[in-house]
Amino acid sequence: MIARRLGWVALGGLVLLLPRLVYEGLALDILTWALFATALDILLGYTGLLSFGHAAFFGAGAYASGLLALRGSVPYPVNAVAGALVAGALSVPLLYLAVRRRGIYFAMITLAFAQMIYYIINEWRGLTGGENGVQGVPRVLVGGLDLSNLTMFYYVTVPLVAVGMWVCWRIVHSPFGRVLMAIRENEVRARSLGYPVDRYKLLSAVLSCTLSGFAGGIYVIAHRFVALETVHWITSGTVVMMVLLGGMETTLGPAVGAALVLLLRDILSTWTDAWGVATGAIFVAVILVFRRGIVGTLQQLMQSRLHAALESAPRRPDEATPVSR
Amino acid sequence: MKRWGVLVGAAVLTIALVAPAPSQGQVRLTSGKIVIAVLNDQSGVYKDLSGPTSVEAVRMAVADFEQQFGKFPGPVEIISADHQNKPDLANVKAREFYERYGANIILDVPTSSAALAVAEAAKELKRLYINITAATTQLTNDNCNKYTFHYAYDTYMLANGTATEVTKKIGKNWYIVYPNYAFGQDMERSFRAAIERSGGKVLLSDGTPFPNDDFSTYLIKARTLRPTMHVLGVMQAGGDLVNFVKQYNEFGLRSKGVNLAIGLLFLSDVHALGVQAFEGTLYTTPWEWVLDKQSREWADRFLARTKVRPTFAHAGNYSATWQYLSAVRRAGTDQPDAVVAALEGFRFSDFFARNAEIRRQDHRVIHDAYLARVKAPSEVKEPWDYVEILSTIPAGEAFQPLSASKCKQ
Repeated sequence: MIARRLGWVALGGLVLLLPRLVYEGLALDILTWALFATALDILLGYTGLLSFGHAAFFGAGAYASGLLALRGSVPYPVNAVAGALVAGALSVPLLYLAVRRRGIYFAMITLAFAQMIYYIINEWRGLTGGENGVQGVPRVLVGGLDLSNLTMFYYVTVPLVAVGMWVCWRIVHSPFGRVLMAIRENEVRARSLGYPVDRYKLLSAVLSCTLSGFAGGIYVIAHRFVALETVHWITSGTVVMMVLLGGMETTLGPAVGAALVLLLRDILSTWTDAWGVATGAIFVAVILVFRRGIVGTLQQLMQSRLHAALESAPRRPDEATPVSR
Repeated sequence: MKRWGVLVGAAVLTIALVAPAPSQGQVRLTSGKIVIAVLNDQSGVYKDLSGPTSVEAVRMAVADFEQQFGKFPGPVEIISADHQNKPDLANVKAREFYERYGANIILDVPTSSAALAVAEAAKELKRLYINITAATTQLTNDNCNKYTFHYAYDTYMLANGTATEVTKKIGKNWYIVYPNYAFGQDMERSFRAAIERSGGKVLLSDGTPFPNDDFSTYLIKARTLRPTMHVLGVMQAGGDLVNFVKQYNEFGLRSKGVNLAIGLLFLSDVHALGVQAFEGTLYTTPWEWVLDKQSREWADRFLARTKVRPTFAHAGNYSATWQYLSAVRRAGTDQPDAVVAALEGFRFSDFFARNAEIRRQDHRVIHDAYLARVKAPSEVKEPWDYVEILSTIPAGEAFQPLSASKCKQ
């Protein structure tokens, strides 16, 4: 228990010190992608549905909050929350259709929807700027405080991301989350127990998309800019990779995966443009060697250590001396 | 009277240029060094027209400048990055250059959408940005700002020269194909305006994805269009243009009476396909290495360094670096506001920009432009000898007049 508490304190310290350790822009990217990846994990890890179109919801959140900030002068973080709601609303009809299938079909349907969103954003030039994107998004806090200083923006954003991550954790560690896992493990049995499986899946997907949209909203205000790349399927692929690298179904795995991918990209891209090769190689290695991802494997190791320690420990005297008296 | 003004101006300039020479070492650098960042396409469709060789051109300019005027009190560092023609990557990289690496200036930035993203970063972080390879006139109109300069050319200049000339000489009915992003949209607007000004007509214009490999749809459409079109105006650039022209030749459209007009042509494009693919094409350019002796000399030195002949982008990067460094000398500091003040309204003439003026009001650098023609294979006398300069468009007429500018700084 104490070790766990120390771990959280260390993590908190690391998050607060991050802008001193790496470039502020990169630190912010790590925060947003960590939230995005954690949100995806609700669907991918806990519900067992591989969405290959999450970029659409991340992007929808980003475009919505960027446009609200630019044209409606809506301050931060209200615009990010509004972006999240837009992404959530968008996900309802799309995922309503998608959750009727599972496995590769679900992945393909979500990919197809995401590509449709991509082309709509590309063609709706008057609103989204097409290829040029939405530029010059103001970064103003509620109350009119100017947040052009990146470090300040980082510290304003940390609690928001923390709340987002906590919501993700709460969703999956609730009776609702239990049902999701039951559906993942055996959908037929869950259905036969009387759970409306599709409705559970849909709610899980909508929550995941809403939180992804929230991450998108933070992203656009951090970059003061959003362009088509954000809704491209490569973004969907990247975030799936982050979750798998860090470890599905772990509280911090997706965040660790996000940090790892972004740091690797940052370090390698100063050396070579082919940083993707290195990230890809690491990805393959992780999938082959640690199938549970980095955090998942660590947890497993620690648990088996714990078990081993418990078994080899001398039995307590009251247990060891049973009936002889 | 006017001539006197020019003479006095020239005299003042000469004095201004010569005077600071003895006061060397008076340049104060805020962080002990000058950092010049080159942001461009180092791996994609615009790699050959600028790319890594432009970084080399900037290095060359710094070395030449320091040789002529002596060293700065600190080192001049040159850094570069690949923005892959993506505006969001350009935005991230530009902020990183300014904030993380303390770049004094960002140069080059092809791809108009990316160029506009960098202009936003320059405006917000109050650092200099001289764009060379992007074409959009938005940089000096709606999106102009105090720290952004547009150096080599723009869509107005291209359309003004090419569209007018082609409409007069070849045909009035145009079909325009353009890449669907800031650059292409701007090219389409500028060409349409210039065509209509000179009595021509745009029958149809189509936006294509960017980048794109397959243009067959548009080429087939060109032949079947009614009423018959005379000119197929292609606004693609770099690798996309090369693809387009390759397919245009494969379809044998030239012999079927579909004339090609090219919005933006770089020497590297002609080199990629050979002169026969472009033979006779009329186009407008801010500079070509065959322009005169001075340009040839510089191009020879560039060839020795990089093994390629320079496009106007390479020459523009060299020239812009030179002008920036000389503005730092004139200002005596690298503080952005002082350097901007030293650049604004400055008149000069170098091997790249003739009769140039950095307009104070919109930061458009105006200079002479040229109407050029791609030679026939029989006219080529030496390697890279692809272009013939037909006429000069004087600086005052080549660019959008100030009265039409929408820039509000």
